[in-house]
Amino acid sequence: MNRGMIGVTPRPTTLADESYLEFITSFRRLAIQQMFPKVAEHGEIRLAQAMESGALEAEDGHVPLTEIQRIFGENPVTPTFQRFVRTQQEMMWRRTRESFLRDADTLMAWMEEAAAKAPERLHIEPGFTPPEYTRREIHCQPGGYTDDPLGGAVYHYGTKVFYEGFNDQDELHAELVERATPPADGKVARVLDIGCSIGQATTLLKDRFPDAEVWGLDVGEPMIRYAHARALDHGKEVHFKQALAEDTGFESDSFDLVLSYIVFHEVPVQKMREILAETYRVLRPGGSFTIYEFPSNDKGQVSASTRFLVDYDSRNNCEPYSPDFVAADFRGIIAEAGFEVADGPGLSNDFLQSIVATKPA
Amino acid sequence: MDDKPAIEVPETLGEEIGGAGKAYFDDVVIDNILDALLELSAAVWTYHDRVNVLETVLAEKGIEVSDAIEAHVPSAEEIARREKERMALVDRVFGAFLRRPTPRGPAPLAQQPSTGDDT
Repeated sequence: MNRGMIGVTPRPTTLADESYLEFITSFRRLAIQQMFPKVAEHGEIRLAQAMESGALEAEDGHVPLTEIQRIFGENPVTPTFQRFVRTQQEMMWRRTRESFLRDADTLMAWMEEAAAKAPERLHIEPGFTPPEYTRREIHCQPGGYTDDPLGGAVYHYGTKVFYEGFNDQDELHAELVERATPPADGKVARVLDIGCSIGQATTLLKDRFPDAEVWGLDVGEPMIRYAHARALDHGKEVHFKQALAEDTGFESDSFDLVLSYIVFHEVPVQKMREILAETYRVLRPGGSFTIYEFPSNDKGQVSASTRFLVDYDSRNNCEPYSPDFVAADFRGIIAEAGFEVADGPGLSNDFLQSIVATKPA
Repeated sequence: MDDKPAIEVPETLGEEIGGAGKAYFDDVVIDNILDALLELSAAVWTYHDRVNVLETVLAEKGIEVSDAIEAHVPSAEEIARREKERMALVDRVFGAFLRRPTPRGPAPLAQQPSTGDDT
């Protein structure tokens, strides 16, 4: 049963699903906001004590990750936190997909109808096959971004739970777009959102730059189809294209502003380099690239508890590429691609780094 | 919308969340108990929530209870009230894990000895 929307958020297909998933949202809030600080506090204190007593020594200024894992793991709250976070994630995806599968025919028909109504804004190459590295079940989402035709709807409600209810009306995406840095000359005629998923930031970019031609690009056809149908429902004239961020198919120097939100830690480092080279190519001289991303730890920038959390997340929330990303010199690699790199405006979520990369004029 | 969509939707998906899953404790029974506790709590909430809605809808309509429950759209005030109650349930059921997060109980971590077997 289609139970409609609350604002911009679709409702699960039964009240029982909705209640169950709202419980997960509240539980997740407790696990992340109240339980993880206990894990972190205990681990950091024990680590400091071990260093002070000489039982543990840093290597090249870094405490080895294996030692962080061992010391944090001594406290039973740690496996409890790990159990809870993994279980709530599995419960969330299982129930979200079950719920939207009940309404699969309607959802598929809705996307097909949108494709028929505005085909000029949906760009899917017949025969395009997502490469193997993109077909991971990122965040444990069943079928990932590429292999579940209902993936857009499942992702939309799943991430509503992930954000603990704080992005129900795209508030977070509104902030990403509001703080995106335009080129110094102010000219924004063409905008690209790479790794756009269901186009939440993409449509808001159109609101901010109403005269610009706005494109969202993602490797997942289910994401692109859902994004396109959703944008049409919202009356937003934006384009969505299925393509690789490292091979967009756009002309050189054709965009004024590019945005990426937590894309780079989901790809291997070599692909990160290729995506940066491609973004540099499609940006016009003087164009700007706003990047919101996971923290980097190549110079020991983040705390032991954050390293513990990122490592746990990588191994338990299907983030196969994030450890290499976090260890890489991200800013250095951006600069190697030719960009001028600067800090961008900070976000409310200070876990993320905000970077503005400018293609020299 | 009578025609079947052109794209097939698989019934089941998800290698990551299928199978035996992950264990975090040496004794997997603890993992199982915690999973059961989570599902139990979700079920308790789900039933409680339905009664919440049932009562609200009955008060509003008094008829066609089942359909009316599914079609009910909560107001902002109702969402806030239900969220508060839900969080209270979460706190009640799982407060023990916050109350005794370490083997030595609730004493401040900084006051604990820095040596000795605390596992």
